[in-house]
Amino acid sequence: MQDPSILESADHSGTTTRSQRYRLTLKIIFESPPAIAGFVIILAYSIISIIDFVDPNLIGVPNPYSMVPDFVNPVPSPPVWPLHPLGTTFPGIDLYQAIMAAIRIDLWYSLLIVLTGAAIGTIIGVSAAYIGGYFDEALMRFTDLFLSIPFLVFAIAVGFFLGREINDISLAIALVWWPLYARYARGQTLSIKENMFVEASRASGVGGWGIISKHIMPNVLTPIFVQISLDMGTIIQIFAALNFIGFASSNSLLPELGTLISDGFQYAVSAPWVVLYPGLALLIFAIGMNLFGDGLRDALDPRNRT
Amino acid sequence: MKLRYYVLRRILLTIPTLFGLTLIIFILLHVGGNSRLIGAYVKPSSVVSIAQQEAEINRQLHLNDPLIVQYFYWLAAFLQGNWGQTSTSVYSGTVTGAIVLFYPNTIVLAIFSAILITIIGIPLGVASAVRKDSIFDQLTRVISFAGFSIPVYWLGLLLIIVFASSNVSPYLNWFPIGGTVDPRLVASSTWFQGGVSSPTHLLILDALINGRPDIFVNALLHLVLPVLTLTFGVIASVLRVTRSSMQDSLNQDYIRTARAKGLSEKTVINVHARRNALIPVVTLMGFLVANLLGGVVLTETVFNYIGLGYWGTQALLNGDVGGIMGVTFIFGLTFIVANLGADIVYGYIDPRIRY
Repeated sequence: MQDPSILESADHSGTTTRSQRYRLTLKIIFESPPAIAGFVIILAYSIISIIDFVDPNLIGVPNPYSMVPDFVNPVPSPPVWPLHPLGTTFPGIDLYQAIMAAIRIDLWYSLLIVLTGAAIGTIIGVSAAYIGGYFDEALMRFTDLFLSIPFLVFAIAVGFFLGREINDISLAIALVWWPLYARYARGQTLSIKENMFVEASRASGVGGWGIISKHIMPNVLTPIFVQISLDMGTIIQIFAALNFIGFASSNSLLPELGTLISDGFQYAVSAPWVVLYPGLALLIFAIGMNLFGDGLRDALDPRNRT
Repeated sequence: MKLRYYVLRRILLTIPTLFGLTLIIFILLHVGGNSRLIGAYVKPSSVVSIAQQEAEINRQLHLNDPLIVQYFYWLAAFLQGNWGQTSTSVYSGTVTGAIVLFYPNTIVLAIFSAILITIIGIPLGVASAVRKDSIFDQLTRVISFAGFSIPVYWLGLLLIIVFASSNVSPYLNWFPIGGTVDPRLVASSTWFQGGVSSPTHLLILDALINGRPDIFVNALLHLVLPVLTLTFGVIASVLRVTRSSMQDSLNQDYIRTARAKGLSEKTVINVHARRNALIPVVTLMGFLVANLLGGVVLTETVFNYIGLGYWGTQALLNGDVGGIMGVTFIFGLTFIVANLGADIVYGYIDPRIRY
């Protein structure tokens, strides 16, 4: 049964504070096994990324910024326990080290992309909804323009014109992704704007910025953060997909899961492990992200919060 | 309002969207400076020298005028069918020529996938919601979840490893690795040039037209794995949305009334619940086409399937501006038309939105 102390405030006035609601959400999430599994996966990946950053030698990755080719044995060789636990891929790169290093790169760039896209989109969405009128119309038409092309194709086009470096790819994806956040933030702001407490605040003389910071922003940011965590899984797929297609220049030694799969593409049939393991790393992360995201969304669904 | 006025209004609303699409492409072309724009129209095989061609293009597109004026001249050229030149390893020539050659193959892939997705996804979603929390439901949810999380190109490679090679078992080596057709079969056919077939550019039809049933069967075999790859990823979304909307529909009061009236469960589901559940699914169709079009690019790359997506990636790798422009515009156009179709169907099903 529910622990009553979570739901009632100290003076038993019947209202709940924000931290109490957050604790309730966390409690509901961690009661569901798939969500816990998802969280564990995400935690594992995050720990690997942090270790890569702090002291890569702990997990046996001597060089986290670049894959190390071995031109003496360029042909992919199958997994051999002590030396190459996952085998090697095309120019003699050890797959285990490459994947461990790539996890951090992927996670880092995906986070960057999602946060940039979310920031741009939220600012545009909130300002459009708050100012309203022709400004709102114009911004929404502008947003719809971006939404008229399938995002992968659009990201390819924007990336093509921006450049082939990994930072250009990230910028391209962020530029294609922000419209979703703009729409979402705008919807949230519109529904909050009509609320009684905003009107009350205005009546007591709170100015524009006050209303935005005290009422709109906190209530918009929570769903936006939920959306961000749901999007991380998708963005990492798109990022890896763009690298797979071959955005980065062909000599790039930056470890990245999509690049690894495309490096091993030629050898997929003769040496399946070169594409199986990087893809598995991607798949497991996507599963973890989606499980946790589903758990989060279900926990926030008002029907589940008795 | 009546359906026809709604349709007319919706079609008219598409026109500004299309102009917006051209605006985006124009802006993209200008991001890198004029050299890219000029480069898109230079014909490498022409007898006229490159410098002369560039001067001519400069004059035609008024590249020294303010940006707005340039847009109009560019748009005029665009609407007259001059979409630029492309030169990739797959095809060299005009962009419109390339699109005519490659679009049919991609359409075949997309249509087969769309049919499979609709035939399998929607009934599975409905059945899963009806048998909520049963083993069938759990299994369907797991499969849908897998489809949602798996990278498309990895799935394609997995299918190749299992079904197109002897790695897992020589008995499972059923399908060819890639391409649209076995090159040995078409080696002596004059109607198959550069990866694309002649009268209709649709390999399946052309094989029948030219009287080669063996090529027809072979082409179909080459289609199986790409279609499966494309389908599995997108079917997950359709399953989820159908299931949740069917669930919502089953919780409605009118369903309770229908049951209280004594109607059989079958009638309740088929006549009342499912119809209303399909409304969000129709709107999902727009999202589905977007995912399909994105997935097509990846699938064609993995399977070396000569279509629009394959040409797009070749253009990207070769730095070919005309190709990127053409692919972006065609995919955008397809997406807009698909959304238009979905909105019209939506207006037909649900009279409430035809205000």
